[in-house]
Amino acid sequence: MFKVVVGHSNDPDSVEAVAEVLEQCLESLAEITPQAGILFAAVDFEHSLILQEIYAQFPDLELIGGTTDGEISSVLDFQQDSLTLMLFCSDEIEFCAGVGTQASQDSLAAAQAAIKQATSKSKQKISLISLCITLPDGLTSSGVTIIKALKQELGSNLPIVGGLTADGGKYHKTYQFYNQEVLSDSIPIMLFSGDLLISCGVNSGWNPIGKKSTITKAEKNIIYEIDHQPALDFYQHYLGDLSPSIEYPLAVFEPDNKHFYMRAPISHDATQGSITFFGDLLQGAMVQMTEGNCDGILNSAELSMQEALNDYPGTHPDAALFFSCTARRQILSSRAEEEYKFAKKHFNAALPSCGFYTYGEIAPLESHGSTLFHNETFITLLLGTK
Amino acid sequence: MKPNSLDYEQQLKQLKKENRILTKKLQRSQERQIQLEETNQKKESLLKRVILDLEESRDVAEQRTIKLSEALAQLKTTQEQLIESEKMAALGNLVAGVAHEINTPVGNSVTAASTLAEETTSFTTSVMAGQLKRSTLNNYLDLATEASEIILSNLQRAGELIQSFKQVAVDRTSLERRTFGLKSYLSEILVTLEPQLKKTPHQVSVTGDETIHINSYPGAFAQIVTNLITNSIAHGYPTNQSGVIQLDIRHESQQIVIQYQDDGCGIESQYLNNIFEPFFTTNRDGGGSGLGMHIVYNLVTQKLKGTIKVTSQVNLGTIFTIVLPLSDF
Ligand SMILES: Nc1ncnc2c1ncn2[C@@H]1O[C@H](COP(=O)(O)OP(=O)(O)O)[C@@H](O)[C@H]1O
Ligand SMILES: [Mg+2]
Repeated sequence: MFKVVVGHSNDPDSVEAVAEVLEQCLESLAEITPQAGILFAAVDFEHSLILQEIYAQFPDLELIGGTTDGEISSVLDFQQDSLTLMLFCSDEIEFCAGVGTQASQDSLAAAQAAIKQATSKSKQKISLISLCITLPDGLTSSGVTIIKALKQELGSNLPIVGGLTADGGKYHKTYQFYNQEVLSDSIPIMLFSGDLLISCGVNSGWNPIGKKSTITKAEKNIIYEIDHQPALDFYQHYLGDLSPSIEYPLAVFEPDNKHFYMRAPISHDATQGSITFFGDLLQGAMVQMTEGNCDGILNSAELSMQEALNDYPGTHPDAALFFSCTARRQILSSRAEEEYKFAKKHFNAALPSCGFYTYGEIAPLESHGSTLFHNETFITLLLGTK
Repeated sequence: MKPNSLDYEQQLKQLKKENRILTKKLQRSQERQIQLEETNQKKESLLKRVILDLEESRDVAEQRTIKLSEALAQLKTTQEQLIESEKMAALGNLVAGVAHEINTPVGNSVTAASTLAEETTSFTTSVMAGQLKRSTLNNYLDLATEASEIILSNLQRAGELIQSFKQVAVDRTSLERRTFGLKSYLSEILVTLEPQLKKTPHQVSVTGDETIHINSYPGAFAQIVTNLITNSIAHGYPTNQSGVIQLDIRHESQQIVIQYQDDGCGIESQYLNNIFEPFFTTNRDGGGSGLGMHIVYNLVTQKLKGTIKVTSQVNLGTIFTIVLPLSDF
């Protein structure tokens, strides 16, 4: 048995919202007790209060979650300033949550702590872990570093999927949830063990534009110079006086000069002319400015879903999770709600699904390949059992 | 509580919720407006810049094309200059040949003249001494007649040579148009080549219709024939065997056909297509410039508006067929 239910409320009032979400969940659960939950909440809610309410209802729940820049579910489709909860019930899959804190000081230690905490609760063998979902803080440490740390502990063959928590586009402070705790600078994880079927789709819709240049000075996730000029000059060449922002990521080319991944800027230092990105960058890499437009973005959501469906190993999935980049929502603007509609084209609208707009996406490029950090993508994760 | 008051409570609750949502949405939509404006500004700036950059790189590309075509033009000029200097070199050869050729008749004349002078002195002495015999007088007169004949014919030969050299040399440089008898002119050209030919065992002859007169550029013919013969000598007989080189002209409906033929070693078929290309030579080590046949080709096709074809068989010889339109003369 693998049952997934979803609740979603767009009531800005925390008490009302959580009440509505729980009511919807209870109705769908039909007396079954869920073992685990994933919660996505807009940053303005009173998160502690919400978690208290959830735990009052389900005291033994394994829960992770985080703040967002927009929420998606099969209940209310796309929303902003809403609260959505996905609950999992199964007698064949085991769910264990864990968290590591102070990730910015030592990401590896934080990742180790999270995994240790989760596995210590497990009655299953570690080799049976089939999926790790994570919702780390991307404002305090780089997504790439976090993934590297998790991979080091979990092995690079285990699919790790998730997104960096967000704060409604303020880039100030994001929150992560672990059980009833509201944290920052942390790495919450949820390990799924057992015969879980999963598949992933990753697609962006951004395209390189302008001239190719070389990163001539970079350290971790900060670029100092591009073509021997301050990195900021490179951006201002294209954006004028406007600041580098997440919708204008760099395409970073693989050595083959054809395939590329994207790195989006978080912030910049005007005096140094340096730019900080959500992921690490390599000195010497070829980069190019990129451009995303509505049609490309909507199309890529559909492609992401199709890719996941094509790769799905079972007959039909029991649930879908989505992690979509905040830059997509920003460019889509009033058309943001169309993204979920495009993704939904290819599956039964009743499929319980839930997702959020992130500051960075985490997923393997192929369903069982090694996990990578992404920007500007729409990630589909399909879940089910045999 | 009456049932409708429960309804009322419900409705009020619902309205309050909707009010909260709307207020939040309004707040959001203002934020979104600002965000969108910025996103659009950035997009506009980005696209403008990319277009500008593209235009710039197109300009650079254009600049490059201009530079390239300049370089190409330069190359062409150099090539033309080379061709020109090759022509000049040929002329230089010609002048050297002229000097050599005239040397013989002039030398003969000098010898005859000095013998005559010597004999005249001793004859005069005899006359003064009053010892003049009949036989002495007769001898002297015989010798004087012979010497004058030698001098006259040799000087005439020299005069002729100078005349034809002058003609060919002038024609070569000026490429002026005039009416001339084709066969006799070709023969004159052969005379100017005598110095080179004399060092070889080859026999050169001109055959064909001697009534053909054309109004054309004799200088072009001189250069064409000179190059063809020089090439036969240079490339056709590597083993020094004696060759037969023939120039034949004939009149064919609206055309004049000049057929040049040697019985030398011929040209390997792989090279046949290349010989008219500038700088193509199989004799670079021997100082070949590879321009001779190119000059021939240009003169025939451009100056004379005709065509030139080459056929060749290894070890049998080479034939160049030049066809000139009559309408042009
Ligand atoms: N009569 C010929 N017999 C054999 N080869 C010839 C003859 N005429 C021309 N060629 C070939 O054509 C080439 C090109 O001739 P030309 O353009 O005059 O250049 P060059 O005499 O400087 O080599 C010669 O190198 C030679 O290989
Ligand atoms: Mg030659």
